[in-house]
Amino acid sequence: MIARLTGLALMAMLAGLPLIILPEPFLGALAALALAVGAAGALAPNVSLATAGGTLALIEYTLALLLGRPDPDPLTATITGVGLVLLLASVHFASRTHGAALGYAVLRSQARHWLAVAALGVVGAAVLTLGGEALALALRGAALPMVVAASAVGALMTVVGVIALVTTSRRDA
Amino acid sequence: MISRSTALNLSFLTLVGWALFLGVLTGRAELMLVAVPLVAALAAGRLTRTPAAAWQISRRVSADRLVEGERVTVTVTLRAHQPLALVELLQPLPPHVWPERGSNHAFFSLRPGEEAHWTFDLACAVRQQLRLGDIHLRRWEPLGFAAGETRHREPDAEVAVLPQVAAIRRPPRPRRTQTFVGHHVSPAQGEGLEPGDVRPFAPGDQVRHVNWRATLRLGVLHVTRHHQERNADIILLLDTLADVGPPGASAVDCAVRGAASIAAACLARRDRVGLIEYGGILRQVRPRAGRAQWQRLLDTLARASVVFTYVSRDLEMIPPRVLPPRALVLALSPLLDGRFVKAVADLAARGFEVVLIAVSPVAAGRAVVRGGPVADLAARLWALERRAYLDELRRHGLTVVAWDGVEPLEVALARGHRPRLRAAHA
Repeated sequence: MIARLTGLALMAMLAGLPLIILPEPFLGALAALALAVGAAGALAPNVSLATAGGTLALIEYTLALLLGRPDPDPLTATITGVGLVLLLASVHFASRTHGAALGYAVLRSQARHWLAVAALGVVGAAVLTLGGEALALALRGAALPMVVAASAVGALMTVVGVIALVTTSRRDA
Repeated sequence: MISRSTALNLSFLTLVGWALFLGVLTGRAELMLVAVPLVAALAAGRLTRTPAAAWQISRRVSADRLVEGERVTVTVTLRAHQPLALVELLQPLPPHVWPERGSNHAFFSLRPGEEAHWTFDLACAVRQQLRLGDIHLRRWEPLGFAAGETRHREPDAEVAVLPQVAAIRRPPRPRRTQTFVGHHVSPAQGEGLEPGDVRPFAPGDQVRHVNWRATLRLGVLHVTRHHQERNADIILLLDTLADVGPPGASAVDCAVRGAASIAAACLARRDRVGLIEYGGILRQVRPRAGRAQWQRLLDTLARASVVFTYVSRDLEMIPPRVLPPRALVLALSPLLDGRFVKAVADLAARGFEVVLIAVSPVAAGRAVVRGGPVADLAARLWALERRAYLDELRRHGLTVVAWDGVEPLEVALARGHRPRLRAAHA
């Protein structure tokens, strides 16, 4: 139950965060839709529905950025990313443990692991932000097409690497 | 143990893909930052590989025999030799068994050397030979991105779920007795408590048997003879050719409970009790007395089940040590298959004393169909048809006791007319 309520709270946060950037009615409607789908995923608990809710919240965030045109805010973006991580983790955990006997030791252990991962995400986002600033300074004056091409190749290689890592099953013993 | 990726990876990749796509599309760096914690989690999930873990599992069951409706406590002990971030244990349950307290599914997180005790109570509603098989174990990676499964080979824990027994104070009494000492007054004369004939004194007669009143009246010494007190052989003939009704409350279940109740009552009065399960499988228990026999009968009754067959079993093939002459045969049947009635009629024709206890399948059959006036009418017609059938069997000379399976069996037995047997004891 704790995992479900955590997922619900995270979904509410993810759906409500873009409304702080741009409090518009149509964005509110999208937030309500994202919250409905995500809450259904958190309460069911169903990872696919939670993923759909998270995706809708991400689209809502994108629209808020696109239409509101605020100043770059790495903190909100990092909170959104960490929120998505914890949402999927909590819903997945709730779906696995549905109807099972569960001790506080398990909850403590899982919370410790996921908070460590969230902290890693925060550190990664901070490093990327600072690295981006430094890179922007270093590449000041460079040709834009080259920068874009290099970034695209880098992003593509990252995605391919992650997919390769994730889809390879490994043998423990 | 092979560790495989879970669906969580796909969810994370979906969100990463969306964040990158929207970031490139809109040119906002924040969306790239949104993807960073997701990618960091994926990478951490792949990089935090836990070493091959070692553990020890043992399972203990609180009882190896229990009665329908009772609970058995299962205790599983898991000891980790190496750290176990998240372990999922599942004890699959056989049909008609459910966890009454606790759960048969649990998660643990253990440090090296730590031990966890997992206890749950199972309710067993239906008689059976309950067998708890292997414990399924799933070891999750700490972040849930991968999991490996295995089965822990634990020696099968077998629990005999025995039929419920109702007290019967006056089980059917046999007309003919056997040779061992028991509680039945035998027609044969000898040592005993029940006075019998009076005859003239003969050398060897004991003085305490002298009947002084007859001696004074007739002027010659007379002694009172006594009836011997002997045991009897009771053979329970259980029909498992066909059944109707929900598990645990079917006609055969009622018959099994009736057979167990009669066996308990007969063994208590020192009779030898045997059992023949007449069905697809012909199971036999030789008539014996005592507590060991009681357990033997219960074990056989717990396993009694319908095994479909077209073959008609011939009771002539049953050896005399299982179906002894002069035995009282108590046949319990829902009378759904004509082969059983034929077998019982054959036994009666061979000179066995047979009492047919007809367990009504109407109530059990009514329980598995939806209610309504048509079903009610059908049930009433069925009951009438059965009553006519039982009357026909009685006209053919069979002693039939009708039992609806709901009222106490003792009431049905007391209501059953057995004039032949009462005359024999008079």
